[in-house]
Amino acid sequence: MTKTPYEKYGGFSTVSRIVMSLYDKLLDDDDVGPFFDDVDMPQLIDHQTKFVSTLMGGPASFTDTHIANAHKHLEIDDMHFDRLKELIVETLEEFSVDTEDSDAVLAAFEARRGLLIET
Amino acid sequence: MSIEAINEQLLRAIGVGVALAEIDTGVLRFANDTFADWFGAPDDSTTIAEVMTGLDAKAALAKLVDEGRHTTEVTFKMRRRSITVAVEFNHALEGQVELAVLVCQNITRIKELEAMIDSYSMMVERNTHEIRREKEQVEKLLLNMMPRAAYEEYKSFGVVAPRVFEDVSVLTLDFAEFGKILADNDPAVIVSELNDIYTAFDRIGEQFGCERVRTTGDSYFAVSGVPDPVNDHAGSVANAAIRFLRYLERRNTSHPIQWSARIGLASGPVIGSVVGVQKYVYDVFGPAVAAADVIRAGALPMQIAVDPSLEDRIDERFQIANGTLAEAEKPNAEIR
Repeated sequence: MTKTPYEKYGGFSTVSRIVMSLYDKLLDDDDVGPFFDDVDMPQLIDHQTKFVSTLMGGPASFTDTHIANAHKHLEIDDMHFDRLKELIVETLEEFSVDTEDSDAVLAAFEARRGLLIET
Repeated sequence: MSIEAINEQLLRAIGVGVALAEIDTGVLRFANDTFADWFGAPDDSTTIAEVMTGLDAKAALAKLVDEGRHTTEVTFKMRRRSITVAVEFNHALEGQVELAVLVCQNITRIKELEAMIDSYSMMVERNTHEIRREKEQVEKLLLNMMPRAAYEEYKSFGVVAPRVFEDVSVLTLDFAEFGKILADNDPAVIVSELNDIYTAFDRIGEQFGCERVRTTGDSYFAVSGVPDPVNDHAGSVANAAIRFLRYLERRNTSHPIQWSARIGLASGPVIGSVVGVQKYVYDVFGPAVAAADVIRAGALPMQIAVDPSLEDRIDERFQIANGTLAEAEKPNAEIR
C-alpha cells in the first residue's frame, strides 16, 4: 500500500506541529484571521487538526457536508481561499514536505473551494 | 550597574509575568514587562481585579492568606488568540505591609496541545470503531465462505491445511428440468426463487446439523460432520433431505414455478480444505461426495436416493425402499 503524506511525514507527531504552525499563521493573518475572532480555541484547534489530517490522508473525519456546514455562515471570497492556500504552502515548506506531496495536499484543498465559497 | 539594578532589569525582561500587590487593598505595587504586556501597565492605584478581569481577585487573596499559597488560571483574548496564564500567588512581607507575589506562566500552548490531543483522540477512537466494524463484516463474509474452525486456522496461519474426515455424510441436490425453468422464466425471478429456497435449506440444514458447502446454479451441496464431528451424521442428512422435499412441496402449492428436487445421500470419507489463493473458498470433496452425486443422478424428481454406504446407518425413524428414503410410517414424535 502506498503511504499517505500523513504516514510518510511521521504521523500525528509531525502533523501536530504542522497544525500548530498553521494555527499560529491563521490567527496572525489579517486577511483570514478575522474569521476566527469569535471562535473558541478548542473548537478552532479541533477544526485545524481534522482539516490538516484530512488533507494529508490521516484519520479523517471531515466529510464535505461537514465542511460546507461549518463555513456556510461565513462570507469567504476567493481572495481568502487563496491566502489560506499560501499559508498552507508556507507551513508545508517549513516542515520540508516534498513539492509533490505539497501539491497533492493543495489539490485536495482546491477541490473543496466550491464548498466554502458561494458562487 | 549595581546588582539590584541588574536584578530588576532581569525581572522586567523575563518571559514570566511577575507582579506585587498589597493583600488588603489588592493595589498593584509592581508589574514586570511581561505582566504589563498581558494585563496592561498598572498605575499607582490599579488593583488586581481591574487588570485580571477573568479572576476573582478577592477570593484568590483570601485563599492566599488562608493557605499561604494559591494557584489559579486566567484566560483572556489577546488580539484573536485565547491566552491562558497560570497564576501563582505567594506571600511576602515588606516592612509591615503584607504583599502577594504573583508569578504568571503562559500555558496557552499546553492548553492548545491538550485541545489538539482531545480532537485527535476522538478521531482515532472513531476510526478504531470503524475498523472494528469493518473487521466484523469481513469476518462475517469469510464465515460464509468457510467453517469457523477453518477460519480460525486461516487467521492464525494464513493457510488452512487439508484435512481428511473419515466418516461423514453428504447431501447433494439438484432440480429436475432446470433448463426448462431457465428458458421459461426471467433470470431475476429464478435467482430470487433460488435465493429463497437455498436460504430455507440452509436454515433446515442448520437445525439438523448439516452445513452447506456450496451451491452451483441449481445444485446444492451440504455435509454433516465437517469440520466438527456429528454423531448421527447419516440421520442429520436424512432428516434434512426429507424436510427439504417437504418444504418444496408446500412451497409449490402457492408458487407458479414448480421446483422438483432430486437428492442423493452417501456416507464415507471426504477431504475438507481451503482451495485457491486469491479467491479462496472452503471446499469438500472425496469419495462420499462422488457417491452422493452418482446416486442422485439416478433419483426421480422429489425422491431421495440413498447410497448403500449410508443405508445401514439409518435408524427406524426412516424407511428405505428401492434405494429411496422416506420417513417411517409411524414417525417418531421426537423428530417431528
